[in-house]
Formats: sequence, structure tokens, C-alpha cells
Amino acid sequence: MACINPVPKLYRSVIEDVIEGARHLFAEEGVEEQVLKDLKQLWETKVLQSKATEDFFRNSLHSPLFTLQLPHSLHQTLQSPTASLVIPAGRTLPKFTTAELGTSNSRANLTFSGYPIHVPAGVTLQTASGHLYKVNVPIMVTQTSGRASILQHPVQQVIQQLGQPSVPQLNPCCLQATTEKAQRMETVLQQPTILHSGTEDRKHLEKATSDTLVPPGNEHKIASEALLSQPESSQYIGLPGVVFPPQVSQTDSNVEPVVSVSASMIQNLHGGPLFKGPQGTRDQHVSDVQLHLLKNRKFECDSVKQPRNIEEPSSLPVSEKGSNSQMDLSIQVTDDDINEIIQIDGTGDTSSNDETGSTRDVDENEFLGIIDAGDLKVLEEEADSISNEDSTTNSSDNEDSQIDVVEEDPLNSGDDVSEQDMSDLFDTDNVIVCQYDKIHRSKNKWKFYLKDGIMCFGGRDYVFARAIGDAEW
Amino acid sequence: MAYQLYRNTTLGNSLQESLDELIQSQQITPQLALQVLLQFDKAINSALAQRVRNRVNFRGSLNTYRFCDNVWTFVLNDVEFREVTELIKVDKVKIVACDGKSKLSKTTFFFKEVYPLVPVLLDTYGFCILKVVI
Repeated sequence: MACINPVPKLYRSVIEDVIEGARHLFAEEGVEEQVLKDLKQLWETKVLQSKATEDFFRNSLHSPLFTLQLPHSLHQTLQSPTASLVIPAGRTLPKFTTAELGTSNSRANLTFSGYPIHVPAGVTLQTASGHLYKVNVPIMVTQTSGRASILQHPVQQVIQQLGQPSVPQLNPCCLQATTEKAQRMETVLQQPTILHSGTEDRKHLEKATSDTLVPPGNEHKIASEALLSQPESSQYIGLPGVVFPPQVSQTDSNVEPVVSVSASMIQNLHGGPLFKGPQGTRDQHVSDVQLHLLKNRKFECDSVKQPRNIEEPSSLPVSEKGSNSQMDLSIQVTDDDINEIIQIDGTGDTSSNDETGSTRDVDENEFLGIIDAGDLKVLEEEADSISNEDSTTNSSDNEDSQIDVVEEDPLNSGDDVSEQDMSDLFDTDNVIVCQYDKIHRSKNKWKFYLKDGIMCFGGRDYVFARAIGDAEW
Repeated sequence: MAYQLYRNTTLGNSLQESLDELIQSQQITPQLALQVLLQFDKAINSALAQRVRNRVNFRGSLNTYRFCDNVWTFVLNDVEFREVTELIKVDKVKIVACDGKSKLSKTTFFFKEVYPLVPVLLDTYGFCILKVVI
């Protein structure tokens, strides 16, 4: 039985209803029709970009067609039979072996029925709407409503989405190819046959969503590659390496074209004779994305750098980045402010005093009072260097304040445990919004009778009319 | 007269974001945006009630439960959701459920959230009189 995802249709219908209902509202307010259209466009784009509906627009195409175009060079290496395959959507058919054709540049119209299709390397897929996707390495494409991970080769797996509104089923698995890669195809081609037979037996083949799937090893490499290109204070490079991967995954839902293009692939962007229109935008997207990532990295860096810099004002690295230099200035400004504050006070002014030492003491004590405990050490050194005579008084005072601060932290920290649990507990990606018919409890056994719900698991949306559940508390 | 419950979903959030963008660019007023959201509430409630027909079963362990203002909030762990076609497993899920039966609670929910004057009146005078038409 073909599994039809009801969510995209439902969302479409809701959007239509809302826009229609809002039409008269807009008219009453005297707002132009164009604004309403803009709203609809924005809304649909956002829904599409989210992972909630993979094939949001697929339902609008009655039978998505994929045209397979094979490069001439593949002809000899392929051993698959020649076939012209047309499968109407929705029909249940057993899996395909291969979909290639023997003759070069011949086409096969293939509609996706939702069963595993093995696509060898070097195949260009063209959707009915004219978008081109090239397959770099042999892949297995499946349609399930399962989740993310790919069942493919580990290396050189860069998946790019062209970010066009009519997103075909095959989209996430499409990779770039260049003519240079043709040689690799030979060796790689042996693998797909193994892959193919091995995976066909599986029921739940997993399919890539529109997100990037680059093995973590590559991600780190990419991050460090990108970062090393910036001449910099080496102490900070370690940070971005740590920070980057979670950022990369987070930006996926926001960034339309997918992230993590390896350095070698960037060059390949310019190759590929079969790419037409979308290429220009893709380049821009990739560079935009890279900039976006680098910016994020920078911000992360900066925010982590700040506390460190306060501790070591004298050892701030001179960096070429504007933000860093701003930070330096800001820290110096705060120092000045502190000095100014002290000087404004009566005891801290430059009026004549019998004991210059005591003035200095007060200065230092006030100084210490304003700055955190963490900075006490550094300032202590300065204080000691300034006045050696009253060092004993200084140190005792400092020790007291230090001891107080040190003792309070462990005491206070114990109070926060339950709060953290609650906030972490309720902050989750998996949410269900629904209505309850009945909630029943017997001792610690709970029964839930729910209805009309929208579920969101890891970004993907599901709906239900009724849900019945059991849980033990 | 519909729950605003569904505004915090992919569909609802994307609508709110889009409306915010239009407000930022001053193409619509916040009032109009509010009206559109009300329209959304109606549409999503009726769509879920009429166009969705499937059933889901689930099982897990209950971590926390909360019942406040006629709204149940649960956090479950290690849950399996079973539909005819598929099985979904999650390690943590939060369920927010409003009363599906009582019409009265629906309307109180609605008033509290929507009419901005009501809380103002309550604060200023300590009471406010509403004429409820169900």
C-alpha cells in the first residue's frame, strides 16, 4: 500500500483557506492584493523550507517525471540492461534494479513510485519542471516517511539542494558531478551492486531529507579549512572547531541551500557542463552560506573570547578583525571608566592626603570591589606592585573578599539544580499540540485519549485525528 | 471561537513570521495580522476536525504532568508512536493538550488571549463584564 503523506495536502488547504478568508480583511483595511500574495508566498516558502513537509509541492505535480540522461562515457562501463521505464505514481511496483539506458544521452521517463531506485553515478536527473540534478556517486533513492540518514558511500557525499520551489523526491540525493569524476565511477560502480542487493531486502530504507549529510569527519575538516584561510591568532581556532558542527546542523532549517561544501567541491561548482540556470544562484547560495557560517563562527568566537580578554587585558592578541579590535577598545574603555569612577570619589581624588599609601589602598579596594572575583588575581599583582608598604593589609583584605566569593559559589550553585532540569526538560524538539478527550490515571498508569493533533518530531510534522496512549509515571 | 493552540506549530509559526515581516515593512498593521491569525485558528481547527482521519497509538513513560487552566502538559520519555503505516520513536516528547470537549473553556481561552482590553480592565478595575455569545 502506498503511503501517502497527508500533511502537505492539509497544509496547502489550510493556507488556501486562510488566504481566502483574509482576502476580505485585507480589502476592508484597504491593503493591496499584492500584499496578500506576498504573504502567501512568504508563508509557503517558510513551510517548504522547514523539514515539516518534505514534498510540499509534490502533490501539485500529478506525476513527477525524472528524465535520466547518461553521459556518453558511462556507456561502456555500465552493465545494466537497457530499459525504458515509466511508472505512474502511486502504483505499487517492486523495486527497480537500475534505471540506466544503454545508449548515450537517451532518456527514460521515470516517475517515482516510492520504491527504492538505484541510480548509478553520472546520471543527470531532470524533473518535469526542468531542474537538473546530477548524481555524482551511485545512490539508492527511496521514499519512505522515515527519517534522515543516508544509506550511501561515506566519502564525497555532498548533497545540494537547488532550492527551487518544486522540490522533487530525488532532490536530497543529488550530487554534483564533473567529467573528471568519470574515472572514479568505474571503481565505484562495483559498490552499488552490492549496496543494491544488500539494501533491497530492508524494509525501512532511509532517505535523505533536504539537509546536509556530510560525515562528521568532513565537517571538521571543512570548518578548519575554512578557518585556516583566515590569518589569525591561533589560540582561537580550536574554538570554532568545537562550535561549528552544532551550528551547521542548526542552520540547516534556516538556510535554503544546504551547507557544508567541501573545499574540493567548491571548485567543482564551476565545472559541470550540464548545469544551466541554477548554477549561478547556487554559487551565490554556497558563498552566502559560507559567509553566514563564518559569521556565526566569528560571533561564537567573540562571545567566548570576551571573558578571557577581561582576565588578560595586557595579552590581547592584535587581530585584523574589526570586531576584535572593537572588543579591545571596549575593554580599555571599561578600565578607564573604573579609574574615572574611583577618581571622582572624594577619597580617590588627587587632593592632598597625608598618606598616599592609604589612598592607594582605598583605590585598590574599590577597584577590587567593582571587578569580579575572577580578576582579583591580576589586579592583586598590580596592587602589590603599586604599594608594597601596605601589602599585608591589601592581601588580607583581598583574601577576605576572595574567600567570601569563593565560599558563596558552591553554596549558590546547589540551588539551581531543579531549575535547570525543568527548563531542559521542557525544551524539546518533539512537541505535540492537540486536544484531549479524556485523561485517565490509575495509580501510576496513565491513559491518554487525544484528538486533532499536530506532531512535530525533529522538525517533521505529522497529524492525527485520534491518539490513544499509555504511559507509566 | 477556536483554540490558538495551533499557532505554535510549523504552519502557525511560519505564518506569524511572515506576518511579522510584513509588519516590519509596514505593509500591514498589527491589527490586520491579528485578524489573519484568528482566521488561521479557525481554518486549522476545522481542517484538523474534518480533513484528518488517521489514528495513532503511543506508549512511553511519563516524566512529568501538569494541569493548569484546563490545559494538560506532559513530558514523556522513550515513546513509540504507532500508525498503521509506520513507527516513530522519540526519546522525549512534550504534549500540550487543551480541553477537547468543553465549549466554555474554549471561549475563555479565546478571550484571555485575544482581547487586549480585558486584562487591562481587570487590572484597573478588578472586574470586567463580557457578553458571551456561543
